[in-house]
Amino acid sequence: MAGPARNLDELLAEAEAALAAAASVPELTETRARFLGRKGSLSGVLRGLGELPPEERARVGQEANRAKERIEALARERREALEQEGRGRALAEHRLDVTLPGAAPPRGHLHPVTRIEREMCAFFRSLGYSIEDGPEVDTDHNNFGALNFPDDHPARDTQDTFFVEGGHVLRTHTSNVQIRAMTGRTPPFRFIAPGRVYRHDLDPTHYPMFHQIEAFCVDEDVTFADLKGTLYAFARHLFGPDTKLRFRAHFFPFTEPSAEMDFWWKDRWLEWGGCGMIHPQVLRNCGIDPERHQGFAFGMGIDRTAMDRWAIPNIHLLFEGDARVVEQVG
Amino acid sequence: MKFSLTWLAEWVDLPESVDLLEERLTLGGLEIEERIASGPDLSALRVGHVLERGPHPNADRLSLCRVEVGEGEPLEIVCGAPNVAAGQKVAVALHGDVLPDGLKIKRSKIRGVTSNGMICSGRELGLGDDHDGILVLPEDAAVGAPLPSALPPGDVVLDVEITPNRGDWVSMLGMAREVRAQLGGALRLPPIDCPEAGAPAAESVRVAVEDAEGCHRYAARVVRGVRVAESPEWLQQRLEAAGVRPINNVVDVTNLVLLEFGQPLHAFDLAKLRGGVVRVRSAEPDEKIVTLDGQARQLAAEDLVIADAAGAIAVAGVMGGAESEVGDDTRDVLIESAHFQPARVRRTARRLGLHTDASYRFERGVDASGIERAAARAARLIQELAGGEVATGEVVALGRPPHRTEEIPLDPARVNRLLGTALSREEIGVLLERVDVAVEADGDGLRCRPPVYRNDLHIPVDLIEEVARVYGYDRIEPTLPDAALEGASEPTEHRLGALARDALCGAGLVELMTFSAFAPEDPDFLRLAADDPRRRTVTIVNPIQASAPWLRTTLVPSLLRATRQNLARQLDGVRVFEVSRVFRAARKEVALPEERLEACAVLAGETDPGFWGRGDVPPFFRAKGVATRLLEALGHEAEFRAGSDEPFLHPSVAGTLLVHGRPVVSLGELHPETAARYEIEAPTAVVTADLAALLDLEPELRRYEPVSRHPRVRRDLAVLLGRDVAAGEVLDAIRKAAGSALESARVFDRYEGRGVAEGKVSVAFRLDFQRPDRTLTDAEVTKATDKVVRMLAQRFGGELR
Repeated sequence: MAGPARNLDELLAEAEAALAAAASVPELTETRARFLGRKGSLSGVLRGLGELPPEERARVGQEANRAKERIEALARERREALEQEGRGRALAEHRLDVTLPGAAPPRGHLHPVTRIEREMCAFFRSLGYSIEDGPEVDTDHNNFGALNFPDDHPARDTQDTFFVEGGHVLRTHTSNVQIRAMTGRTPPFRFIAPGRVYRHDLDPTHYPMFHQIEAFCVDEDVTFADLKGTLYAFARHLFGPDTKLRFRAHFFPFTEPSAEMDFWWKDRWLEWGGCGMIHPQVLRNCGIDPERHQGFAFGMGIDRTAMDRWAIPNIHLLFEGDARVVEQVG
Repeated sequence: MKFSLTWLAEWVDLPESVDLLEERLTLGGLEIEERIASGPDLSALRVGHVLERGPHPNADRLSLCRVEVGEGEPLEIVCGAPNVAAGQKVAVALHGDVLPDGLKIKRSKIRGVTSNGMICSGRELGLGDDHDGILVLPEDAAVGAPLPSALPPGDVVLDVEITPNRGDWVSMLGMAREVRAQLGGALRLPPIDCPEAGAPAAESVRVAVEDAEGCHRYAARVVRGVRVAESPEWLQQRLEAAGVRPINNVVDVTNLVLLEFGQPLHAFDLAKLRGGVVRVRSAEPDEKIVTLDGQARQLAAEDLVIADAAGAIAVAGVMGGAESEVGDDTRDVLIESAHFQPARVRRTARRLGLHTDASYRFERGVDASGIERAAARAARLIQELAGGEVATGEVVALGRPPHRTEEIPLDPARVNRLLGTALSREEIGVLLERVDVAVEADGDGLRCRPPVYRNDLHIPVDLIEEVARVYGYDRIEPTLPDAALEGASEPTEHRLGALARDALCGAGLVELMTFSAFAPEDPDFLRLAADDPRRRTVTIVNPIQASAPWLRTTLVPSLLRATRQNLARQLDGVRVFEVSRVFRAARKEVALPEERLEACAVLAGETDPGFWGRGDVPPFFRAKGVATRLLEALGHEAEFRAGSDEPFLHPSVAGTLLVHGRPVVSLGELHPETAARYEIEAPTAVVTADLAALLDLEPELRRYEPVSRHPRVRRDLAVLLGRDVAAGEVLDAIRKAAGSALESARVFDRYEGRGVAEGKVSVAFRLDFQRPDRTLTDAEVTKATDKVVRMLAQRFGGELR
């Protein structure tokens, strides 16, 4: 009997046309259900199999299944096409003004002195130096006496000291940490001490507060050559591999030999800090035998280094509290 | 100290190149502060060529010259000098040029003829006294070139900084020695021998050193029958180049010898010396003196004075007295050359606020072996310039000799071990001899005798420094130490400070650093109670500004001032912080103040919302967010408590964060009184964190807790509550009521206004449920939520919206 077969062909053609005409995914779903759903046309055909003679039943059944698979495949293809079309449309329609600003939480800024101090500390920690702290108000002994500044000696004039009640001083350098750190310790040791220091000096190029980093290294045979080498490594870390340094003889009561060092920056020598071999009397004052142990110490202004790095023309800009200065460089 | 190279060249050979000299002196420890070309600046003037000289049509004594000046047509210049002649090269000042005496040259008519400039004499150029006629330049001078190119090179003055250990450098002799040490050559000293005549000096004066500690040595010379007058030009110029004002020939000689040898001298009018005696003694009780500057000065017992039979006539080593001053009618002069104890001179100079060329040198120590030499040199020069006779002999009195090291042993191995060099014993010896240290071999070592003028050489390392200095620091090859390494450590305070800075920076704040002092009004502006420990300020004895007499006990005032300034400068809000030490006076006066690390943040004004953000977050809540973030970063779980004891915070818009029950952070809006005091009008919130309180608190130890693989169920509840109910309390109650399946609860919206009854507020809570071990059933979540809803109704009168 040709009925169902003819019906199946017609059904297939009808389904093909209907699926192709479906304009959206929901419409397609509905169309597919019309043919393949429980109450769909093909289901009707399959339900009608039982009424067919057994010899036709297998053939028609097979054809019906093929038709079903065919419709399924057509529906899938159509669905993919529709979805792709939809994405294409969305793609074509989605527009943003990408020149509008990005959204991120507000950014904070670290002070230039903090940033340089961290760079310096990181360098020295990589060389095995421990950080050591000391008080900003200290005794005359720790700031001067133990550092070999005699009473009533002109060397004290170079320090422009702030005195506070109780006979103490605002430390004029971080070298007070040398005394505190070395006393009671046995070499070898190496320390750095960053911190705030004070000098009684206020004019367009001086501010009464600034920051130094002190470094000292004591062992049995640490030499002046080692001091130079360490400073070269440090300077090149901060300012680049071609940095040139100059060591000028100088006088500090707490080191001997002493030197001031300059680095070559934009066609001139800029003073960077002071250094030297720790004076035997200072070692003795800290309970270290200068016949057996020796070492170097140096210190430099963190602020000055920051000013050189970012071309900040005046130290006052660092401490007058203008957030715009920090925002610029931080 | 300023010294002239022309003058120095009389003492020692100088290299051709000033640059080389500067470099060697600089590396050797003499910092050159300035190189000054002395003499007038004549670089605007030029060399002219007189082409023709003719008579002036209207004046017999003037001539009219045609002068080529290197550009344009030759110019007509009227000249009054008799020696001007055609063919000469001359110095020409043109219209607009300024002469050293300030005269501005203008084109002008002289007796009816236009003169386009001026042909200058040496005097007009400031080059000398010769005013007989114009200055005639060498024939080969280039026409039109700047005038200095045709003049002999002028003097160069170097201004050097002298380190306080090198008193011996503060003289021409000292500079000459240093040049010799660095560059070699021979010293040439000025003559010191003086022809003596007449009665011995000892007949005119007796000297008694009564304070033997204060005066090591005192030498007196007498010159009789001088005529006090103005010094010759050369002497005045020498003094002026060194910044010393010429007075008269006697005083000027003492100052010249001071510059030459570094030995301060003083000249007394011998006739005014009462009792014919010089006494070097301590000041007597209530003793006064009028010093040369005309000031009456009260002396103290420890001041050393020069006295005659009647009283003090000079403050030893600092300044002479007016009474015994050498003046125009002085006939006989007493010259004092002495060695006073440095610390004594320093204390007196400081106490009197009188820092002179003499005290500067005495403080640093003068050459103990040069006392008589300087006196003789001065006597000779006075005799030469002021006439009279140098009395026979000198009068010398001694006090206790200064401490001096005769001999220092030096081990060459020690030198190399300290410097990292490989110098032989012989090389070391040669280097030391260049600075006048006498060296003798002694076994493997050296025995070294420093010169008397070096009062800074006492121990071996003093000599090692000299070896390095003369050898050249630049010749020591850099190496790196190979010391044993231990793990590098960091103090807790330093670490906490770094964490706090990172957290505050990460929260979008800008770090400031401000001066560590308070203004006198700050404690009152902060409304601190009388017994607030932050009133225990440390007083700065010598403050640099009257507005900052105390060390600060909190960072708040500094940051409020910075906030005001920043608000004034910027349109958008201010968000700043500082992490610094603050100071509290110790209870015992002798103890050091307590230093505490504090963090302070200020958020003021509108936040710039940016394009996408919300700009309307009240400063208090921004501060609360910042404070919470800060403690999280420091590793602590904080408990928030409404309200704060801080007097500078708004009493009802403030809170406290506690760690282990200890208040560590205060935050809140600024109290309106404090805000008014600091003139801050924008809404402002402040956070202060006592980081020192965290030093001995272990951070929370965090442990892993299993993360759930099961779904999370979310329930949002919008609850109508009374307006005064605190959301934080409700949230705490929700957390307790919801049972163990509640993973988190938070407030996500708060609304009042249209649609919500007056006095009520709608608060939305978001509850997330999740268990680590299994999937929750809908019924379980509903049951927990119902329990919460019942609790809200019972405890807070809340009803679901």
